[in-house]
Amino acid sequence: MKHSIPIFWRNRDSHYRIKITKCNTCGKLAYFGRDRCPYCGSRNVTIIESKGKGTLVNFTISYYRREGDEEHLPRIVGLIKLDEGIVIPGEIVDIDLGEVKEGLRVEAVLRRYSSDDPYGLIYYGLKFIPALKK
Amino acid sequence: MGKAFISAACMTKIGRHYKLGIKNLIQEVATCIEERIGSRPDYLIVASTLSALQTHQLDIATIAAQYLGWSNIPSTRVETGETSGIAALELAQYIVKSGAASKVLVIGVEKMTEYPSNKVNTDYAKILDYDTEYVRNLTPPNYAALVMKEYMKKYGATRDDIAEWPVKMHANAVNNPYAQLRFPVSKEGVRNAMIISEPITLLDAFPVGDGAAAVLVTDESARSKDTIEIVAITSASAPSLYLRENITELPATKVAWASLKRKLEVQRLNEVALQVHDSYSIYGILALEALGMSDRGKACSIIPSLEYLNVGGGLKARGHPIGATGVYQVAETYELMIEGFAGKQYSGEYALIHSMSGPDYNARLALLRRW
Repeated sequence: MKHSIPIFWRNRDSHYRIKITKCNTCGKLAYFGRDRCPYCGSRNVTIIESKGKGTLVNFTISYYRREGDEEHLPRIVGLIKLDEGIVIPGEIVDIDLGEVKEGLRVEAVLRRYSSDDPYGLIYYGLKFIPALKK
Repeated sequence: MGKAFISAACMTKIGRHYKLGIKNLIQEVATCIEERIGSRPDYLIVASTLSALQTHQLDIATIAAQYLGWSNIPSTRVETGETSGIAALELAQYIVKSGAASKVLVIGVEKMTEYPSNKVNTDYAKILDYDTEYVRNLTPPNYAALVMKEYMKKYGATRDDIAEWPVKMHANAVNNPYAQLRFPVSKEGVRNAMIISEPITLLDAFPVGDGAAAVLVTDESARSKDTIEIVAITSASAPSLYLRENITELPATKVAWASLKRKLEVQRLNEVALQVHDSYSIYGILALEALGMSDRGKACSIIPSLEYLNVGGGLKARGHPIGATGVYQVAETYELMIEGFAGKQYSGEYALIHSMSGPDYNARLALLRRW
């Protein structure tokens, strides 16, 4: 078992949605939803939800192999600037290696993070795909 | 508060020690120190980042004390990610300066080859936030790659400019008997090596190896020509990489340096013996800039001229047995100041050691002075 079920279940909100902490003391926004502002420590915060759309500002194509990564390499991981103005880290999928570029419009989707092979749980969470045309 | 000194140092060669377990490595350096000083320590601190995950052993400090037959002395394990070795030194100097003990043995140890590399890669990635970074397949080399790309874009640095770092580190490691990678590399070799996380290649990244190093921290009663003073150790933590406005700066290092630099009574750090944390080439370069040794974006050009930079080859070529690395940095610097190291002699008064975890999630700086 790679992940603890209680840990994953407890954090489901941050795996399935993009929450943003808005600090009412220092005014900054920060990914993810938290009880305290990561910049100033204030507990006077409001949690807002992102629409899940943004722009890829930096990425790397990774061959770094952790356990269970074998069939998923190379991975594209990067930093996405959400339309709400903050940056979040994430994996980009459903795109050819040659197509990925800075400035790409992306949107969040629910995808598989990993699984407890061969018969265990499958852990799902947010990844990003090229923005679908309306 | 009293003063604290380093009065002995021992290292094992870093490598794939399939015949040696974590206790054997600890014993090798503990026995070496014991033979040098002719007595036992009165406190044992063991720095190890991965021991619980790689060797299945909790409380490795106590188990080590039992194994060494020192089961009556206090023993503590320290873990702060990749800075564990300097964090152990930080605690050791406070223990000595407070008068609670007069001979504190600091051992840094890591076994990284008990499993295939994908297991150590898995465990090492846990220095990042498990819930928001690790689970989402973000790893330390991925972050280093994003930082390197941003640096190249922002300052126009080329792939070959960055390769100055591994070229220098490998050249230094050739003369370090304890280094893991004792061979020179060329810029072309760095450029054409296997890609880890583009633009980072295998020769921008630290090798996986086992190792142990030890230093003895003592009070003034042990002062001699073979003692080096620990002037101060400063440390800080920093926000996650994705929360930073500028990812090409090292924010924790900057804070630690701001509180330390007034204690360094020299103008030019370029001539001071310096050890910086270079798990990936770009981090060594950013460390030089964070320490004010060059303008932002210009550090690549000063690398060849720094005679006393990472004399043992840095994490890149000496190796980076994670929790042991800080102690290797201190042991090499001690040897350099006392009798010369890796073919170099150093007569300067000060030495500075920089350690950080991941993309500078925490940083520690140790300032040493010849007594």
